[in-house]
Amino acid sequence: MTGLRRRATFALSLATGLALLTAGCGGDGDDTAGLPAEENVDEPADAGDDGDDGDEEAPDASTGDDSTVRLGILGQCEGPFGGFHEDVVGGTALAMVNHAGATVNSTTSALDGFSGAEVAGTPIELVGIGCGDDTPDRILQEVRRLVEQLDANVIIGPLSGDEGLAIAEYAKANPELTVLAGISGSQEQTLHVQAPNYFRFYGDGAIWNAGLGDILHNQEGWDTVAVIADDYSFGHTSAGGFIADFCAVGGDVTHRVFPPLGTTDYSSYIAQLPDPDEVDGYFWAVGGTGTQASLEAFVNAKGDLTGDQHAGNLFFNPDLAQALGTDIAGAYIGGFATLPGDVQTPAIEEYLASADDTWETLPGSLSGNEPAPPSVAAAFGFFYGYYTAGVALVEGLAAVDGDISDKDALHAAIGGLTLELPYGDISLDENRSGIVDVGLSQLAVNDDGEIVQETVAIVPGVDQTFGGTFSPDTPSPSRDFPECEERDLPWEGNAIPVVDGVPQQ
Amino acid sequence: MTARRLLTRGNIGLALLVVVLLAMPNLASAFFVNFVLTQTMMLGVAAATIVFLARYGGMVSLAQFLLVGVAGFMFGNAAVEGGARGLNLGMNPWLAVVFAIVITTAVAFVLGALASRTTGLYFLMLTLVYAVIGFFVFAQIVELSGPGGITSIQRPDLMGPPVRLYYAGLVLSVLVYLGFKALGRATFGLTLQGVRDDPIRMASLGYNVPMHRTLAFTLAGFVAGLSGVLHVWWNGQIDPASIAIGPSLILLIMAVIGGISYFEGAWLGAFVYVLAFTYLRDLPLIDQIGITEARFNTVIGAVVLLIMVLSPEGLAGIAARVWRRVNKPASAAPTAPAGGPSSAA
Amino acid sequence: MTQTTPAPAVPAIADPVIQVRSVVVAFGGLLALKGIDLDVTRGERLAILGPNGAGKTTLFNVIAGDITPTDGTVAIKGRDCTFLPSRHRPRLGMARTYQKARSFDGLTIRENIYLALAGHRGRHWPLWRSPVDRRLDEEATEVAESVWLGDHLDTAAGELAHGQKRQLELGMAIATQPDVMLLDEPASGLSRGERERLVELLDSLAGEVTLLLIEHDMEVAFSLSQRVVVMADGAMVTAGTPEQIQSDPDVHEIYLGVEASS
Repeated sequence: MTGLRRRATFALSLATGLALLTAGCGGDGDDTAGLPAEENVDEPADAGDDGDDGDEEAPDASTGDDSTVRLGILGQCEGPFGGFHEDVVGGTALAMVNHAGATVNSTTSALDGFSGAEVAGTPIELVGIGCGDDTPDRILQEVRRLVEQLDANVIIGPLSGDEGLAIAEYAKANPELTVLAGISGSQEQTLHVQAPNYFRFYGDGAIWNAGLGDILHNQEGWDTVAVIADDYSFGHTSAGGFIADFCAVGGDVTHRVFPPLGTTDYSSYIAQLPDPDEVDGYFWAVGGTGTQASLEAFVNAKGDLTGDQHAGNLFFNPDLAQALGTDIAGAYIGGFATLPGDVQTPAIEEYLASADDTWETLPGSLSGNEPAPPSVAAAFGFFYGYYTAGVALVEGLAAVDGDISDKDALHAAIGGLTLELPYGDISLDENRSGIVDVGLSQLAVNDDGEIVQETVAIVPGVDQTFGGTFSPDTPSPSRDFPECEERDLPWEGNAIPVVDGVPQQ
Repeated sequence: MTARRLLTRGNIGLALLVVVLLAMPNLASAFFVNFVLTQTMMLGVAAATIVFLARYGGMVSLAQFLLVGVAGFMFGNAAVEGGARGLNLGMNPWLAVVFAIVITTAVAFVLGALASRTTGLYFLMLTLVYAVIGFFVFAQIVELSGPGGITSIQRPDLMGPPVRLYYAGLVLSVLVYLGFKALGRATFGLTLQGVRDDPIRMASLGYNVPMHRTLAFTLAGFVAGLSGVLHVWWNGQIDPASIAIGPSLILLIMAVIGGISYFEGAWLGAFVYVLAFTYLRDLPLIDQIGITEARFNTVIGAVVLLIMVLSPEGLAGIAARVWRRVNKPASAAPTAPAGGPSSAA
Repeated sequence: MTQTTPAPAVPAIADPVIQVRSVVVAFGGLLALKGIDLDVTRGERLAILGPNGAGKTTLFNVIAGDITPTDGTVAIKGRDCTFLPSRHRPRLGMARTYQKARSFDGLTIRENIYLALAGHRGRHWPLWRSPVDRRLDEEATEVAESVWLGDHLDTAAGELAHGQKRQLELGMAIATQPDVMLLDEPASGLSRGERERLVELLDSLAGEVTLLLIEHDMEVAFSLSQRVVVMADGAMVTAGTPEQIQSDPDVHEIYLGVEASS
């Protein structure tokens, strides 16, 4: 026994050390899906759960009390998107402030929640903020805590694609619940699960590349393209959207290369791509630290990058120019919820100003979780996606006159909404996924010789089916789906050009 | 085995505890039963397999959560029909359970055989490698799962109401607890302890030492598989992140918190962990001292460290020490660590 | 002084129980055994003497299968066992003890002896107890009593005194009623009274039991053995009856002299 104790104690000390190390690292090392911002979980302090403190003896009241909307927000305070916790909660809070008369509890952090929200006599009370870590298991635990312990009857969130799928299934199994997805981008959560009480006033991961095919094939004359994307669901989905779009207008995808997430040496994957004289262009959907690493590997193997031969999804951003030089000017980039800062309409200006009026500062992810003007966070898709969900809740409540006892009526009302929002109107398709406007942009050299992102077109009314490429009967986007097929796209030729930040309507 | 022998304080305590747990659905909130206690039961069984291997076999395994996951993935692949990913075999759910358990046990046999010649730290590291490889196998092989995992996994109709899942977990826990305890006195349990104490001596007595280690790992895998089926019924989905290194470490941490040489400790550790995970953040003013959801892992790490310092044998070790002190004058008890029967209360 | 070739002529014996031929064991560059030949007949009681590092225990480990020799062959009861792992020895009727007592410290004395019995009977896997186990427990109790441990059946082996551990070690060896026993310094660390009991016990073994003994204690070695082999530096130096060895001047020089001065 002593031998075992000694051995086991030593082994366990080691394991404990490992665990502490993991804890200390938070989610930094975990690049399951880096979006543009730096991943940093240092700062989501003071998550305020209004309401029941440790009230575990509470009798089952989950089916009772329909006089109040008890709202739970699902964010991520750990993992790769942990830095966006403040942003997403802020989005919903701003919707409550702008549309339901709420006031925020703190002018320096959104996580303290809001109070005084009320629509048509029905108060909206924030009962809790779920803390996900980008895994479906964790978000399921969080939603169960919000719903089953804290009695939430409306959920806004979650953030990432795989989480969305899990929450959509949860919603399907709990028909009394109302879920307004945040920015979760997987197709299946709406297209396949089709839970009647699950709504996404936002696009999925594929549609942000809609319209790129039209520009690249019909305008820039690309006939063949090679696609390189992260080998996981968002990579497959984002690349799938581009492939569906480019092939629908008549182009051909000749190569598909899928490096695993977390790859550091991309040379063997770059070697699988054709040479620049064998193909008209390349499309990149590689995220996180891989974006730059893969492009540098390309330069090493195939020579210089030229903007007229490359395009990318939202990961392709002006920061890349620091390492790759200004030759990448000219590259087209897919959209992501909001438009680059060069587009200013009265609605957008009003929206950003309202954020600045609501808080003094917000420690959002784009400012490295340091205090910054709230409009910095508000102008980015994470904040905005939760804002649209919040607005949808308010307008849905207004449509049923504040009566949430009849869930079918509430859900029907939400499903029929068309939201007039600063970055374009959003309505829902028959699977309750958003039909949205996509803003496409291009890298350009400004007067100072720096690379900036300029909006070039707004593609209106994009839905998740891509003219039938994706349907409830098709599998999820994968390494070899969708196939390359020509189709009629409702938005082909409808793109609204944007010149110097002004839509030419 | 006479009735008199069954009436030890430990057994009475266990019986009382089971009665209380059976009555819990009438005493506590649905959330407490269906979330906290059900998880405690499932994770306790999985952690008990770590205790089994460590206590009887001297092997500290980090691969047990992988086996929990293998069972979950296999059940999902077998039971789901027309899902977006996986094999979609569409089997009868009970047949799928058999399928999942058989595959999990076979996987455990192979992994156990590969690890059967290592001990101590090397065994720990090898099982860590298993856990990492397991993650990538399911993340990369899209036929089995792919990164998105298997979703929409329904449990059999018989297990429909969540409280039945709790009862199933409770019954499994009691069986596993009693089974592992009884095994310690049966031939295989004794041979395993012999292998733990002196493998060379065991070989000279005629025993096939690697085979004993292999079959112990296989048995632990079988039990972990049962826990895995319950877990996937409860969770409704499973994906590679479910079995990543984080959850694997957490399972080991549960065993450590509870006390890795006490079977009671497995459930005690799971209970403490789930309790802390669920309620710690609700304590008033807890966020004022910097303990937020995001720092939960740090808190758990500190708790583990504290327990290791105070009692390397975990909470059950503390309970057993108190128990012995209280009973010292009364009993000339055997020195074997019988454990605090009331420890899981 | 020491010869690298085996000097003592091995008398050709019919039906040897143990037949060691030209066994070489190298640990890295160190030659622990430099070509040993040894025949042991049925029922013979053979003591192996030699200073520390002579290779006695290595030879035992080769015969018991714990070490595979670098070169040479080992046959037990006419069967080539050179590469046969140690776990197959009990089936051939062989049992051994170790120089440093190797008991299962987390288990009781009864359980230790039970494992010896179960190992020999091939009862390795049952997951629950049965009446067979009760019979084995009774046998284990008898064995424990025969090595004077009957009062400590439920004591964990880890809590035994040194002498008791040696008794347990012996009990585990004789439990299986082997016909070949390898005893590695069974008397080391025992008190005078305990040594006498040990000699008494080994004397009481049936006549056909073959006994190989490594022993530092001359008294024990000479009183138990019919033949003595002296090893030094990995090779055999001489062999003979206890009387011959006691009067051999070479032995005195390389072994007894060393022993006397230590």
